[in-house]
Amino acid sequence: MELYKFLPKTNCKKCGKPTCMAFALDLLQGKVKIDDCPPLLEPKYQKQYASLKELIGSEEGQQKELRINIDSDLCDGCGICVTVCPVNARYCPPSLSGKAPDYPPEKHQLFQVKSGKCELLKIEYCRRIEAEGRERECRVCETYCPREAIKIEYV
Amino acid sequence: MKRFTCSGCSLLCDDIIVRSDGLFIDEVIGSCMKGKERFDQVTSKNRITSPMIRRKNDLQKVEWDEAIKETITILKNSSKPLLYGFSNSSCEAQSKGIELAQLINGFIDSNASICQGKVLNLAKELGINLSTITEVINKADLLILWGANPAETIPRLLNKTLFSRGKFRMTGREIKTLIIIDPVKTASFNVMGVRDIALRIKAGKDLELVRALKEECCQNDSIPSEGVAGIDSEDLKRILLHITGTENGVIFLGQGILKSTQDNVLIREILDFIQVINSKQQKGRVSLILMGGHYNMAGFDHIALSSCGKIGGLQFKNKQLVETEDTIVSKLERDDFDCSIIIGTDVISHLPYTLSSKLAKKPLILIDNHRTATADIANIILPTAITGIECEGLAIRLDQVPIHLEKIINPPSNIPSDEDLLNKIIMRLNEGGS
Repeated sequence: MELYKFLPKTNCKKCGKPTCMAFALDLLQGKVKIDDCPPLLEPKYQKQYASLKELIGSEEGQQKELRINIDSDLCDGCGICVTVCPVNARYCPPSLSGKAPDYPPEKHQLFQVKSGKCELLKIEYCRRIEAEGRERECRVCETYCPREAIKIEYV
Repeated sequence: MKRFTCSGCSLLCDDIIVRSDGLFIDEVIGSCMKGKERFDQVTSKNRITSPMIRRKNDLQKVEWDEAIKETITILKNSSKPLLYGFSNSSCEAQSKGIELAQLINGFIDSNASICQGKVLNLAKELGINLSTITEVINKADLLILWGANPAETIPRLLNKTLFSRGKFRMTGREIKTLIIIDPVKTASFNVMGVRDIALRIKAGKDLELVRALKEECCQNDSIPSEGVAGIDSEDLKRILLHITGTENGVIFLGQGILKSTQDNVLIREILDFIQVINSKQQKGRVSLILMGGHYNMAGFDHIALSSCGKIGGLQFKNKQLVETEDTIVSKLERDDFDCSIIIGTDVISHLPYTLSSKLAKKPLILIDNHRTATADIANIILPTAITGIECEGLAIRLDQVPIHLEKIINPPSNIPSDEDLLNKIIMRLNEGGS
């Protein structure tokens, strides 16, 4: 809604979207750029263009690099992050008591518990990078860590 | 890759990967901190590798023959020996322990008698269903933690039950509801989702809570509007809706509901409540899981039940089982023993001083694999191998499922397992008698 306020609100369809609201939603998800809206580039909307640039720009600046920090002092290796991570879950063969992650780890696996501490193997396949839409906002490992050892950050 | 079973706690995780060359353990993958510590005990500084005897207030290393000879002398001169521990031994060692108690006319009890033993006994009496971990993974939709904090006591329990995706519970965490009843905000509260309910009751008010729930279950609108035990009436109605509407609910009973007093009113009321729900429900049912601590906490009760037909302490007289209601606590209170054998437990740290100090006044034989506070008062220390790492054995998981523990490496200086050592003592006692 914040973004919608700064759009021309004329529903001119020049950007290819049916309404300005639809354009705002796509803008929020990063599917389109501000320059895709032709009327905005006109001198009439110069002020709105600048403030929009500021709003989007600050968000873009944040989403530079994803980091998942695991505090090894707090972690007790319960492995909840290993089980709850939707990417990991695809590569867990069944064992006698529930599913256990594969070993040696699959190339997609994010987390592994080693010597009683959880460690991050690789981040490339994290949903926050790979997925699209709502799934991109995945924070399950951070939410469910009972020790609050996992922090998702953008640096 | 071969997977081993961890003997760090009563959950007995069977998906642990141990990389070893047959002599030393290189790496443990998949275990929690508790399990890792268990594997680290092998090379710990406190490890005992040779038998010791206390002479002039000082522990001295001696040969095996001498130590066993002295043990036999103590046992032969005693008329009321006390055997206690066994929760960190395999089931085979536990049945040998009962054999030994029968031979020397002693009293034998395990750590379960001051833990979940009485709950198990009452649940078996009332015929309440004890659920298993695999059942929880595949079918449960409601988990209630009552006086339990698995996030800190049994770290992988929540991982294996609440978060695991099962056959009929494909989405795992999302489909399972969690209710925590605890006076303190523990680490387990951090795994709560949007639909879950936390009940922060006033400490020691569990009895009022369970009575109110039971009454509400029988006749509607009996909860006072101001609530019970510090909980809103709205919240109580909400959790009753969950409990009575569940398809497959599980109550995890922790140490929090156990009281040091002898009466079992609270436990009885909780079990009664489960029965009332199960009789009222059409489809679903509520079952129970008891959360013990040591890896073979449940084992002794099963061995005692199968060999003597009784759960808890066993008293032998003239090589026959005698009916008794005694536990380790009442025995120590009455000072009704003249020597003690402690196996795989640290009584000095676990029992209050008034009880444990009585043990120090009489000969104490300690069978353990590393030095604890109890070693400082022991007269004889006999080292044994660590079950699940240095010797194999059977153990019973917290949900009463037997799991086989395998041998990974050889024990240092060929020390025997609990089972072998007890067997040796029994044989030497038999030889001397004939």
